Amino acid sequence: MNIKKIIVIYKKEMLDLLRDKRTIITSFVLPIILYPLLMIGLTSMTSRQEIKLEQQEIVIYLNDMSQNEISREIRGSLSEIETLQIMDEAIVYNEDTYLDLLKDKSIEALITVEDSLSSTGYTILNLTCFYDETSEKSSMAYRKIRDNLRDLEEVLISKRLDKIKINSEILNAVEIKKENIAPPEQMVGFIVGKFLPYLLIILTISGASVIASDLIAGEKERGTLETILVSAAKRNELVIGKYLTIITISIITVLLNLLSMYIAFRHIFMQMGQTMGNFQLPIGNFALILLLMIPLITFFSAILLSISTYSRNIKEAQSYQMPLLFGAIMLSMVSFLPGFELNLGFSLIPIVNFSLLMRDIMLNNYQLSYLFIVIGSTLVLDVVTVYISIKLFHSENVLFRTAEEKSLKFWGKNKKNILNLQFVLVYFVIMILALYYIGERWQIQDLMRGLVKTEVLLILLPVIVILRFSKTDIKKTLRLNYTNPMNFLLVIIAALPFLLLAGIVGQIINLIFPLSDTYLENLQSLLSTDQNSIWLIIFVVGILPGICEEVMFRGFILSSLKKSGFWHGIIFTAVLFGVFHLDPFRFLPVSLLGIWLGYLAWKTKSLYVPILAHIMQNSLAILITNYSDKFKFLDFIVKDGNIAYWVIIPAVIIIYFVVKGLHTFNPAETQDNSLEY
Amino acid sequence: MITVNNLSKVFRQQNGEELYAVNNLSFTADKGEIVVLLGVNGAGKTTTMRMLSTILQPSSGTATLEGYDLKKDPQNVRANLGFLSGDTGLYARLTARETITYFARLYDVPENKIHDRINKMADLLDMHDFLDKKIDFLSTGMKQKVSIVRSIIHDPPIMIFDEPTAGLDILTAKNIISFIHKCKEDGKCVLFSTHIMREAERIADKIVMIHQGKVLAQGSWEEFIENTGLHDLDDIFIHYVNNVVKEDA
Ligand SMILES: Nc1ncnc2c1ncn2[C@@H]1O[C@H](COP(=O)(O)OP(=O)(O)OP(=O)(O)O)[C@@H](O)[C@H]1O
Ligand SMILES: [Mg+2]
Repeated sequence: MNIKKIIVIYKKEMLDLLRDKRTIITSFVLPIILYPLLMIGLTSMTSRQEIKLEQQEIVIYLNDMSQNEISREIRGSLSEIETLQIMDEAIVYNEDTYLDLLKDKSIEALITVEDSLSSTGYTILNLTCFYDETSEKSSMAYRKIRDNLRDLEEVLISKRLDKIKINSEILNAVEIKKENIAPPEQMVGFIVGKFLPYLLIILTISGASVIASDLIAGEKERGTLETILVSAAKRNELVIGKYLTIITISIITVLLNLLSMYIAFRHIFMQMGQTMGNFQLPIGNFALILLLMIPLITFFSAILLSISTYSRNIKEAQSYQMPLLFGAIMLSMVSFLPGFELNLGFSLIPIVNFSLLMRDIMLNNYQLSYLFIVIGSTLVLDVVTVYISIKLFHSENVLFRTAEEKSLKFWGKNKKNILNLQFVLVYFVIMILALYYIGERWQIQDLMRGLVKTEVLLILLPVIVILRFSKTDIKKTLRLNYTNPMNFLLVIIAALPFLLLAGIVGQIINLIFPLSDTYLENLQSLLSTDQNSIWLIIFVVGILPGICEEVMFRGFILSSLKKSGFWHGIIFTAVLFGVFHLDPFRFLPVSLLGIWLGYLAWKTKSLYVPILAHIMQNSLAILITNYSDKFKFLDFIVKDGNIAYWVIIPAVIIIYFVVKGLHTFNPAETQDNSLEY
Repeated sequence: MITVNNLSKVFRQQNGEELYAVNNLSFTADKGEIVVLLGVNGAGKTTTMRMLSTILQPSSGTATLEGYDLKKDPQNVRANLGFLSGDTGLYARLTARETITYFARLYDVPENKIHDRINKMADLLDMHDFLDKKIDFLSTGMKQKVSIVRSIIHDPPIMIFDEPTAGLDILTAKNIISFIHKCKEDGKCVLFSTHIMREAERIADKIVMIHQGKVLAQGSWEEFIENTGLHDLDDIFIHYVNNVVKEDA
């Protein structure tokens, strides 16, 4: 690689982009004008709005059904509120009419007053205030009425106490005063920290994506790519030169963002100077965030560059960028969520880590160790993505991709062809939606019955129907073949070691992402016999899923992915199996189990084997949960609810011998060619 | 000079079948010679030229350009090569001079020579009026001139032109043809592709007729007349295509 060449390319790209109006607008103009507009505009507008609201006339109706002294006092007290007008009660409507008036916003609130007697003989006035929470005016009316009547109540109570000669101070047993100790800097940090990461990430990525799509996909579109490919510049020099261009412009964008934001803030605080007192904006934090943005930018630039390399034209690049942008938006929003604290697990997830770290920096309470982990892990990802970019740029299949014609042809006439990757994906998405919307509702109504309905109606039945209608050989597709009985024995031997391994994986995930206790309790209660008999649970949670899910995954899906090759098919099926459980924390252990089940199906050519393995897995988990006291031999494996890590060794050894056994009993030569991968 | 040896390129099509875009192609092109690759649409001209300019990797066979092997030494092949095709574009936001300077630097032309070379080429192609205008504002003919200069700014011994006159009016096309003639006189080795028989007839020292990736026939204009007894290149081409069809049957 020649640095001088890279600089030549870099300079040209910068010149080219700086003459592009779109770049100028999205990367430079937008950040500069956005913050002043956003903040100054917003604050002045909301304060004006509030003043306007305060001064508006409020009309309410008081339906006084008790007509006694106190209720008249209430009327008197309410009428003292300025801007509040109580509608004349001479016109006697019924209550419904008034509710209608409230709905069409002719009045802001409706109060009904009734009285009742308490057991000790005091009159209690029952007031109901009808108002519309979605209307700001109506909500304000409610607040004013509530405050006013609270004061009145105090007066009334002290009168009553006076009557029986008790000092009203007796009511002040506990006095609560609130004193906010957060310095104004921290308050600013708290507010800014919530939306800053989000804004910054979105603005940078959207700026960078415009540039990135232009840099390579744009060259393809305009036919200039060939000219630089035949030049004496090497391909990695071209990629690096372009990469540096995206990074430079993105850094300028971030810089402008932060600067503009800082100035806008200062302006606002200067205006409010009298009330807020004198304080400094945390400029050091802004600088640290700028520094932190650099690895994030380099990471995104590399991904965007790969997308741009792969795409045939700008439009295609933009459509591939969409999911990335959406994903980034979703992930960056964690800073809005309460209760999300940066921990080891989150510090390894791109974007989430930056979002949380930036928030903590603005709050002035971040840990240096996480700062380094976040930067370090991102730099590793950087290197990987840049490497992928360069690799893509070397591949002629990628650079000269021809139009894909067969896009949605799988609905075609050939019925045998229906089982392919696209079909499986579409089917899987529909099934997940059905599980989420229909299955979960059934399960809320009645857990056990719902589970049975879900497994049979949503998982098993559709597969059978599809296979019938696609005229495929069901027996062959589902691998309903005779198999050596020894396979069943081997699977039974492997069940406990596998359960323990999966448990250990879950345990490690739990270390990185500590789960809440309620989550674990929910999981346990599903398996426990508190409400249902053990046999019912074993049938519903152990046996039925074993059969239905195996037909679906190791039968239908795995056969449909034949063409993708043996390991690809198994791994892809396992990933779908993991997603299917709709639980991010169990994704990894479940997928691992999926690989094992897929391997069994492929190796023994019989679905019966993974079905048994699946049933064993589930049932064993149920038995251990319920009868841990009877499994005494497990006591030295499980300590304080945690599986000892040395268990990995014997477990792996046992599984190794089981795999050897599977090889002996299912020699490759006899493998049915039609089922070969 | 260019020596092509059993060069083949296989593309995998969407339906999974293999397509021999170039099939066992062999020919040579010498210094001071204009060799025309002549073939109908889809014959494999562009694919051949892309392989020779190292953009695509040959599936089998190889070629040497100025003694450098395509596969072993692509870097040197590119340094000795000027490549221009009819559908290559230019950077719209750069001026003609900026564009040419950029490519001169990519080709390692010494910084102090760039200015002189641009001026010399501008004299030759009458480009001084628009050298400092943005490409966006240039006419098609002006753009084509910029493209030519861009592709040969490093004074390469070998030039590859893939249908450079496609879509141009006769006057501009004639300019380009006469420029190519001049290159030949300067002792360059020129490989030129077209599907227009007349054009081939006019400038070629040697014609390589290709069809469905294979060489139909090669030789000079005179040799073709001698071998077939026909006087029109269209007829000669059809004659050879029919021959192949007969052989296949
Ligand atoms: N990247 C590619 N992938 C698959 N097939 C390709 C690819 N590039 C070219 N082909 C096919 O190779 C064959 C030869 O194409 P090529 O572009 O070399 O022809 P050509 O002689 O230049 O034709 P034209 O006069 O239309 O430019 C065509 O059938 C084309 O469809
Ligand atoms: Mg072509």
